[in-house]
Amino acid sequence: MSLPQRPGAAARRLRLVTIVAAVVAITWWAARGIEMSLGQLVRNIPQARRLLNDSWPPDWSFLSRLLDPFLETVQIAILGSTVGVLVALPVAVLAARPIAPRRWIYLIDRNFMNILRTLPDLFWAMLFASAVGFGPFAGAIALSVFSVAVVSKLLSESIESIDLRLLEAVEASGGTWFERVRYGVMPQVLPQYVSYALYMFELNIRASVVLGLVGAGGIGVVLNVQLRTFNYSRVAVILIAIFAFVLIIERVSEAARRRLV
Amino acid sequence: MSQTTDPKTTGPDVSHSSGEASGAKTSAEPRRAGLPSPPGRRIPIATWITLGIGAAFLWAALGLEVSASDLFGLPSKLFNQLQAFFPPDAEYGQTKVLPAALESLQIAWIGTIIGAFLSLPLAFLAARNLAPRTGVIFKTFLAAVRTMPEILLAIYFVPIVGLGAFAGALAVGIHSIGTVGKLSSEVIESMDTRPLEAIRAAGGGRLAELRYGVLPQVLPEILALWLYRFEINLRASAVLGVVGAGGLGGVLLNTLRYRRFEEAGAVLVVTIVAVLLVDMISGAIRRRLTES
Repeated sequence: MSLPQRPGAAARRLRLVTIVAAVVAITWWAARGIEMSLGQLVRNIPQARRLLNDSWPPDWSFLSRLLDPFLETVQIAILGSTVGVLVALPVAVLAARPIAPRRWIYLIDRNFMNILRTLPDLFWAMLFASAVGFGPFAGAIALSVFSVAVVSKLLSESIESIDLRLLEAVEASGGTWFERVRYGVMPQVLPQYVSYALYMFELNIRASVVLGLVGAGGIGVVLNVQLRTFNYSRVAVILIAIFAFVLIIERVSEAARRRLV
Repeated sequence: MSQTTDPKTTGPDVSHSSGEASGAKTSAEPRRAGLPSPPGRRIPIATWITLGIGAAFLWAALGLEVSASDLFGLPSKLFNQLQAFFPPDAEYGQTKVLPAALESLQIAWIGTIIGAFLSLPLAFLAARNLAPRTGVIFKTFLAAVRTMPEILLAIYFVPIVGLGAFAGALAVGIHSIGTVGKLSSEVIESMDTRPLEAIRAAGGGRLAELRYGVLPQVLPEILALWLYRFEINLRASAVLGVVGAGGLGGVLLNTLRYRRFEEAGAVLVVTIVAVLLVDMISGAIRRRLTES
């Protein structure tokens, strides 16, 4: 209290107050926009109770009919991940400053990557379902594109932080562009690439369970049908199964990542 | 069955592309003529991994019955679809899509606020260095929370609070608790504990430790996490309209369903611009936060 104020303290306090005020103002605007109200939450408690009553006990007999849709979900995720992770490699290399062959290629590719990254997974699923028709094929293409978007971004950032001396060494000994990528870049980013691929597979598993909501195959199709008919005891079984499924895949993938990287 | 194949298949993607040359070659013929292959490892691991991925890929492609005509027809179908989006319907964009985009933004913002505030105390309780006893329990809790994708949470919130953006914000918020909580607890775990000891040595209590030892260290990084989550939540909230929880997704689904592609084009343009803008602003703030 008796200490003199630190220089700049007043300015800092003013800035803090401004920021807090702005955050509060935006929150107020957003809360009004979505008609958020705690009263509504409380008023809907009976509704929630009815929903839980409908969901419990889950219709366990339905479980046996979920196996095939789950297999389809895994297959969509595998196709999407393998194709996407492979395609992401050249996309990432061309968008990494140290190795991009031309500046204009770098710029085009970088912007292409940024635009690709803006659309969420289900948007891609809707677009491809519209283009090639409903079904798992649309889902697999959607996840491929989604994987390219995520992995190429991560990988190009890894490539930009490599040790440039190795690259120079390959260049100095007369390496072609491909040889520079192969011996100057790849050995350095391979561990990251592996771990991004596994991470992507986890993301794709999560994404693939909901693709069916827009008609792009997998377990989500079954979920959508049961939701449409308000069969909540079956919806509950599907959600529980998805929960367990995602947890198991995540554990396995995490273990694999730890062993490989 | 699927579980056992995936790990082998996924990890490997990676070595597939880069390692395919080296892996395949070494198994067939020694790379350098004079050197014998090391004992006990005749088939390199990269080969196994490549084979595993290849097998999983085949299993998946056959299982989904992807046919050659599907693949060959793909480019023209995609081209036609892309062409149909042009020119995007500007009027529809202004009257219908922009309000939906604002609603998505609001859902993402409220979701992030809910996630941020509720995850903060949980993150402290889950951090191993500050809460050695409760750490595991709260970590598990956070993991369980984030297992459910937003859209599946929204499926339950929509019938409870009604069709609309509020249900979406709740779904986004709850999922965010899980993800932000986990990352925040990791930030807390990686902090320097020596300032805490100094405060304790100077006679500071538990509260003083938090205020002067923990918060100054972790707050910038946690704020950056919140902003990062906001960027992700915008994409998540854009999707939620598919199950009737407000925002852009419902508009896109409807325009595509009724094959009004020029209107769908407007949705895509607005989505791309909005997400790019938010990413840019949020990214700039994050960079300032983590630099200082």
